[in-house]
Amino acid sequence: MAIAIQPYTEQWIPAVKAFNQRLAAGGIAPEFHFPESHIPSWLPKLEGRRIYQEFYLATDSDAVRGAYILKFQDFFVGGKIQPVAYYHLPISEGIVNKMYSSIGVHMLRSAIKAQPMLYCLGMGGVDRPLPRMLKAMGWSLSGVPFFFKVNNTPRFLRHMAPLRESALNRRVCDLAAVSGAGAIAINLLQRIHSKRKDRSVTVESVSSFGEWADVLWREYHSHYKLVGTRDAANLKVLYPPDKNFLVIKVSRGAEVLGWAVMLDTQMQNNKYFGNLRVGSIADCMASPDNAQAVIQAASQFLQERGVDLMVCNQSHAAWSAALKSNGFLQGPSNFIFAGSKALGELLASFERNKDQIYFMRGDGDGPVNL
Amino acid sequence: MTSPVFERVRVIAADVLKLPASQITAQTSPENVEGWDSVQHLNLILALEQDFSVQFEPEEIDQMSSVERILTVLQSKLNQN
Repeated sequence: MAIAIQPYTEQWIPAVKAFNQRLAAGGIAPEFHFPESHIPSWLPKLEGRRIYQEFYLATDSDAVRGAYILKFQDFFVGGKIQPVAYYHLPISEGIVNKMYSSIGVHMLRSAIKAQPMLYCLGMGGVDRPLPRMLKAMGWSLSGVPFFFKVNNTPRFLRHMAPLRESALNRRVCDLAAVSGAGAIAINLLQRIHSKRKDRSVTVESVSSFGEWADVLWREYHSHYKLVGTRDAANLKVLYPPDKNFLVIKVSRGAEVLGWAVMLDTQMQNNKYFGNLRVGSIADCMASPDNAQAVIQAASQFLQERGVDLMVCNQSHAAWSAALKSNGFLQGPSNFIFAGSKALGELLASFERNKDQIYFMRGDGDGPVNL
Repeated sequence: MTSPVFERVRVIAADVLKLPASQITAQTSPENVEGWDSVQHLNLILALEQDFSVQFEPEEIDQMSSVERILTVLQSKLNQN
């Protein structure tokens, strides 16, 4: 076996299809199969674009035995703006044929060699193979907290799948929904840390990002230890107006405080959310001091649209506090951040600074599944 | 097969794969050890790198598909140093 790592070009499409077929035969779900086009449908590399994806293959003669994606983006880290790559969708034939169990390590080491500043995000929990490999290689790992706020308690209790896993739990949820006891309990919990609303904040729906987003980015990026570039150019690529993103600009008087990107999605038999209408706060930017105002505006905006449940993943301490003070509760998270050794070194004690890094659903794969 | 290097590899592999050292032979590979998956393969590589003070290239890691092949790569690496 002589594995070579190379960019995914058109000639490899049949081999990728054969690779996916072997994965499928081994019981691997389609969402883990590799794209059967060499051009990324999301964030392709275009002239002048500073955020893009590249696909790589691990080939053995004429066969594809593994593949991964690198998403390149400028980050503010270590006191300056520099390129960082997101290592994602690594898939190796070792998962279905142990003869190829070394390929996962080979791909990861090759990616690090090409770009030492790497991170991974999501991964489904710390016990999964990839985070275990990353931990063994000395990467820094931490959970990105998950927050939720219930807007329609009866529907939440009837549809939230993790609450209804046993027959007893289903009966308790149904009873709580019908009696109103659930609504009282959840409202109480959500109000414990809630702060009084800031009436001076105004909200404007916008269709795109302008110079005002550049001003916010320039003024506030250095307030974070590690944050992906959120200037207008990148935001227009990440959140184009022809998609279903809801963008708000949050101001106080003439001063723009920040922005938020949201989704309002009617779920259909979702494995977590059943048939709930879920509002997600996918991305934001502001000074940490203005996090409270931006989360208040986003939360109110989604509530007025009539979503059943609001969700948000957020790693930064000030933003997490803002979510809690707007009535969000913290739930279990399987959304994990892992930073390579080179990235961890720039954070100068990851343990001390991990709650000053800024990751949301909009980072990584983007707000998929929401 | 017996050599000081093999004995050290055998002890490391036994520790990583949680097997008695007596069960580690030159033929031991991911195909005949249930717990030798990609994560354990990485743990084995890292343990060998630490114990022998070497760093394997990604291409070398592919060749290390059994204890016998690990010894071949390792021996070549040690001879270079």
